[in-house]
Parts: sequence; structure tokens; C-alpha cells
Amino acid sequence: MKRDFGFLIIFAVVIIFAAEWIGFQSITIGSITITLLPLVFAILLTMVLGMSVFRKGIMKKVYSKANIGFASQYLIFIMLPLMARYGADVAPRIKDILQVGWVFIIQDLGNLGTVLIGLPIAVLLGLRREAIGATLGIGREGELAYISEKYTLESKEGRGVLSLYIIGTLFGALFFSVFAPILLDLGFRPEALAMASGVGSSSMMTGASSTLVARLPEMEETILSYAAASQLLTSFLGTFTMIFLAVPLQKFMYKLLVRGDEA
Amino acid sequence: MTKTTGLNQYVKYGLILLLSISLILLTQGIKLLKYGGGAPIDGMAIMGLLTLWLFSMIGIMITDVIKKADIPVLRSFPILGWVSITSLVMCLIFDFFVTAIQAVDFLSITTPILTFAGISVADRLVDLRKTSWKVAIVAVFVFMGTYLASALLAQFGLMISGN
Repeated sequence: MKRDFGFLIIFAVVIIFAAEWIGFQSITIGSITITLLPLVFAILLTMVLGMSVFRKGIMKKVYSKANIGFASQYLIFIMLPLMARYGADVAPRIKDILQVGWVFIIQDLGNLGTVLIGLPIAVLLGLRREAIGATLGIGREGELAYISEKYTLESKEGRGVLSLYIIGTLFGALFFSVFAPILLDLGFRPEALAMASGVGSSSMMTGASSTLVARLPEMEETILSYAAASQLLTSFLGTFTMIFLAVPLQKFMYKLLVRGDEA
Repeated sequence: MTKTTGLNQYVKYGLILLLSISLILLTQGIKLLKYGGGAPIDGMAIMGLLTLWLFSMIGIMITDVIKKADIPVLRSFPILGWVSITSLVMCLIFDFFVTAIQAVDFLSITTPILTFAGISVADRLVDLRKTSWKVAIVAVFVFMGTYLASALLAQFGLMISGN
């Protein structure tokens, strides 16, 4: 196991080299520019190379059970320096942030957008009880805990939230790193997009705010501080927003949508 | 896996964090090599990395203390949040920490993390088969929904507040 771990470190160094060497790439479609950062290449490369077809020889040692286990068990610790960095971004801007504190609080209600937009689409596609689990939130640990407690993970609701969890884990950061700058091109203010980045998942927040920083380097400090402050607020309020607002709203809309469907 | 406890556990966390900041340093070095300019690797950047390591460790310890004390409201607050708060408080008290931490290039922090994130999900790609294409479509709208709704509310709020 010790020797396999060495392979993991060497592999990580090689991937970082490759991802940084590819560097920033942008694709322009009409008036919309999609910026791909090294972090996007890092996750794409490691995901693709981890597919079972490539797991031969040395790659089999890199993607050993112990190494994948290490990466998933300790990913959160590898992320901690990033979270510490966010503290330093918020501190110098704390006065500005508190001044528009109420904006941070109301935009946090935007998390209900998962129900408002996601639920009608889910019902339209023919999903029923799965839709409850799949649209309550962005399917992170909070929703997972709530759904598994109320319905168990073996239920249809549970399958819905688990599916969302898997999709979010695999593609969440990628999705937001592409989606955030699209809204920038559509005319949204960078401050608003930075605030919105605090969706409740650190990797998704990083995906969204990093591409905004890459597009507007002169606003780095504002973007990072707003995103981090909003993310902190979501960590505090997220559970309450879910239980007291998202759950009742979802119940109400579900009844309305499903009834309309039968008529 | 045997559960390591007490001091041993902190040594382990300390080493993992050391790995993390070393990879950040490497990434910042590669950027320098590639672009020539950018954030230099000087004494301040090293101090910044060590500060990040220290605040992460403090955050881990706070999480442990709170878990042991069993405070209901705070128990579910994530370790990631505690690290940010620790850093925020320390940076508010001492300006030096802000200068040091900001000497570390932000995007250099993100590449190593996503490298490990990619490796960590390697065995879960097969789980995708268990999810239906319908939920995949719903997921796109769920992610768009939360982001778009928050962005609209924020845009509206900033407009009203005249900022």
C-alpha cells in the first residue's frame, strides 16, 4: 500500500503539470465565452484516466483501492487550505459585505430555485416520488441526510437524491465553471454572480467563482469574498431554509403539479 | 480501516495538509515557469502556505471539540466552515495574515484539489448507470435553478441598495 501511495503522489504531480500546461482555454460561441481553467482539465483527466479501460500496469497501481479510498476519505482535508484562503478574502471586505448583508440573506433564498425550476421539469419528464429527492436542493449532504431520515435511501425519494448526489459529485464543479460565465455574458453583475456562487457545495462554489476570477482578474478580491461569505451563510442557514421553506414549498407545488397532470 | 485516535490522528491530518500545501506550491511554481510573471514564490508566499496549514489544523481541532461537547446547533456545521471562520477571525485581528495568505495564488490552490476530486470519484463513475437520464436532465435544471434564482435576487438587491 505504501508503494502504491507513492504512485498516487507522482500521478497527481504529473496531472497538475499537464493541467497547468494546457492552461486557460476559451471557446467562444456567439457572444458567449466558455472559459476552461486548469482545474477543469485536472478533474477531466483524472476522471477519464480512472475509467476501467485505462487501469492497466502502473495506472492500476495509481487507481488502487487504497488510493481511491485515500482520495475520497481525505479530499475534505486537502480542501481545507482553500477554505482558509477564503477567510483572508472576506476579512478585508467585511465592512462592504455587512453593509449589503441583507442582499446576501435574500439571495440565499434563491436556493429554492431547485424546487421552483427543477420540480416542474421533473414532473413533466414523468418523475414522481424520485422528483421529491432530486429537487429538494442540490443534493448534497444536508438533503441526503434529510431524505434518508424521512424516506430511507432505498425509497424512490432516496434514489432521487442519491442520483443527484452522484451527478453533482461528478459534474457539479464542471457545470458551474461553465454556467457562471455564461450568465456574465448575459449581463449579470459579477457581484451578483459571486454571491450566487455560494450554492452550498464547496467544489461547486469553487468552480463558479474561479472562472469568474479568470474572466475578471481585476475583481478577484470582490468575487472571492462575496462567494465565500455567501457560502458561509448557506452553511449556516441551509438546513433551516430546506426544512422550513423548501420542504413546504415542494409539497405544495408537487400536489398542484401532479393533480394538474391527472386532470 | 483501523481508527487512529488522539495525537496520531492529528499527525496524519497534519501530513495530509502538508501534502496539500506542497502541491499548491508546486502549482504556483509551474505557473511561474509557464508565464514568467504572476505571483512570485517568496518568503511571504511560504508564510501564507504555512498560515493556511495552521488555520486548517485549528479548524479541525475546533470541529473535534464541538463534536465532543455535543452542541446541537453547531454539531452539523461542516469542518470546511470552521476553517473559514477561524481564518476570517484571525485575519480580522491581524492584517499580516491577509497579506501572507493573499501571496498564495488563488487558482494554484484549486488545481490540486480538483485533481484529488477526480481520483476520488473514479469508482463512482459506474454508479452513473444507476441514475436515469431523466434525473440527469433534472439535475441540470436543479443546478441552473439555484444559481439563476440566487443571481436574480442578488442583482435585484444590489440594484435597490444602490450599490
